[in-house]
Amino acid sequence: MTEIFIDNTLPCVFSERTDIRSDVWKKELKLERGKKYLIEAESGSGKTSLCSFLIGQRSDYLGRICFDKTDIRQFRPTDWADIRCRHISSVFQEMRIFAELSGWENVVIKNNLTKHKTESEILDWFQRLGLGNHTTHLAGKMSLGQQQRIALMRSLTQPFDFIIADEPVSHLDEENAIIMAELMKEEAEKNNAGIIVTSIGKRLPLDYDYILKL
Amino acid sequence: MNILKKLLRRHTSIPQLIGFALANLAGMWIVMLGIQFYYDAVPVFTSDDAFSNNNYIVVSKHISSLGTVSGQDGGFKDNEVEEIKKQSFCKRVAPFTSSAYRTTAEMSFKGMSPISTELFFESVPDDFVDTKAEEWRYNAGDDTVPVILPRAYLALYNFGFAQSHGLPKLSDGLASNIEMNIHIGNGDDRKVFKGNILGFSGRLNTILVPESFIMWSNEVFAPDEAENPTRLIMEVTNPTDDAIATFMQKKNYDIEDDKLNAGRATYFLKIVVSIVMLVGLLVCILSFYILTLSIFLLIQKNTTKLETLFLIGYKDKTVCLPYQSLALTINAVSLIVAFLLVIVCRSYYVSFISDLFPQIETSGILPTIVAGIAIFTFTAILNTIILRKKISKIAKFS
Repeated sequence: MTEIFIDNTLPCVFSERTDIRSDVWKKELKLERGKKYLIEAESGSGKTSLCSFLIGQRSDYLGRICFDKTDIRQFRPTDWADIRCRHISSVFQEMRIFAELSGWENVVIKNNLTKHKTESEILDWFQRLGLGNHTTHLAGKMSLGQQQRIALMRSLTQPFDFIIADEPVSHLDEENAIIMAELMKEEAEKNNAGIIVTSIGKRLPLDYDYILKL
Repeated sequence: MNILKKLLRRHTSIPQLIGFALANLAGMWIVMLGIQFYYDAVPVFTSDDAFSNNNYIVVSKHISSLGTVSGQDGGFKDNEVEEIKKQSFCKRVAPFTSSAYRTTAEMSFKGMSPISTELFFESVPDDFVDTKAEEWRYNAGDDTVPVILPRAYLALYNFGFAQSHGLPKLSDGLASNIEMNIHIGNGDDRKVFKGNILGFSGRLNTILVPESFIMWSNEVFAPDEAENPTRLIMEVTNPTDDAIATFMQKKNYDIEDDKLNAGRATYFLKIVVSIVMLVGLLVCILSFYILTLSIFLLIQKNTTKLETLFLIGYKDKTVCLPYQSLALTINAVSLIVAFLLVIVCRSYYVSFISDLFPQIETSGILPTIVAGIAIFTFTAILNTIILRKKISKIAKFS
């Protein structure tokens, strides 16, 4: 997959609105592989909706979204399972961490599916992100910042063409945000992947190719 | 897979699953015991009878004291047979042909001293006899005669003779080991035949030989005797038809009720077992309902987790597996325990049946195993379909 084409898309809930001024909604926008995009938005402008559309979680929008030339409305659940394992990786705003599993298990549950990383590679990430001593701790007992780092690691245990990170550093300090950005950049470069990051204020520190206003 | 199991089986309600397992066990046990009991008990009424067809009735004329004194002939005349043939309940009818000469027979078993008795033979047309055609055949002049004995003889031997003489009891299967020598005629005409006992019948109270033997031997040993038949064998369409009893009463004929009773008993046994099995199936269905509800509840509690699993790339098939294996394991354990319980119960009643009916050879447990596995497979398939449907609905995020 080399591009995501957002073609006159608008969330259904905004269909009555006439005052939309956005670089994304109701526009023709191509997101290309290998490029870094920051989508800045105010709260309530449909940022999480966009991320949900791109990973096939929701389809309540007008217009079209295409992966390469294929309209994503055509994908069935099995196609989406494949896309979410090999083409699109995502870091969710609400993190979606399994509270009853340990930090380690939360990452490995994804890697078991893809067999993309070795145990030592994952352990190395834990150490770089300052969680080396937290592998066996229950994720539910961790701070939101720690959970955000776990969520990032989980998203990186797969090959991907695009990574979509919805406010990935909202609970992190500057230092950890830099480490996270480096890690994401490294993996994206290995995959020659596109990075799509959203933010409502605190940015993931990366040298973005495009900054779009939602 | 282990992490997935650990994740998805949280919130499993152990009491709910135990409730299901017990209900399922009870249902399976009732169904399987019903089937097993049916197969074990039905030979008591129908055991290997040479006349496995329940629809045969033996008709004779009523013997009154007056008739005996006046020497009245108790035989059926041709027109009487024709009249019976015309009745709606009658499928076909044929006379018994009796031997018209004196016969004695010796019977012995495994070298014991022979029992000798005077007896007689009768025959019915060969197509009324269910035994294989090649065995039930006699060619004029042969030394060996196929014979079917009344089951009452076996009972007399087992309970009267064998017991008091310390001899082994005989089952049906051992009948062919009985040596039987038949002596017919006197003086120079005397001839010895070897009897080949093919089986026992509880339905026809007579010593039955092939029709061709009676025809031949009557001609050879008693050429001048010819009498009307005293008994008729009739095949009816429905043995419970009231018209039969009404007709017989009107004509003052007797029918040997025994085989009708056996037919009725088997019929009632079938009904009772069917009702018991229906109850068992109902319990099975209800237990299946409990399991489905219980797993649905579990899925409901885990909906967010399931959604996350799908969002990180899990397929609905994979996510279904822990639930399927949970249901399958409980089902399989119930099946095995139910089966063991059936074997234990069976050992109690089988010893009771074999004490009462030593000649009965009880059937195996194959039908029960088949039924158990059929219920298990059906439940497993249905379960998989329902689970998949429920989980793929979540995977669609609709």
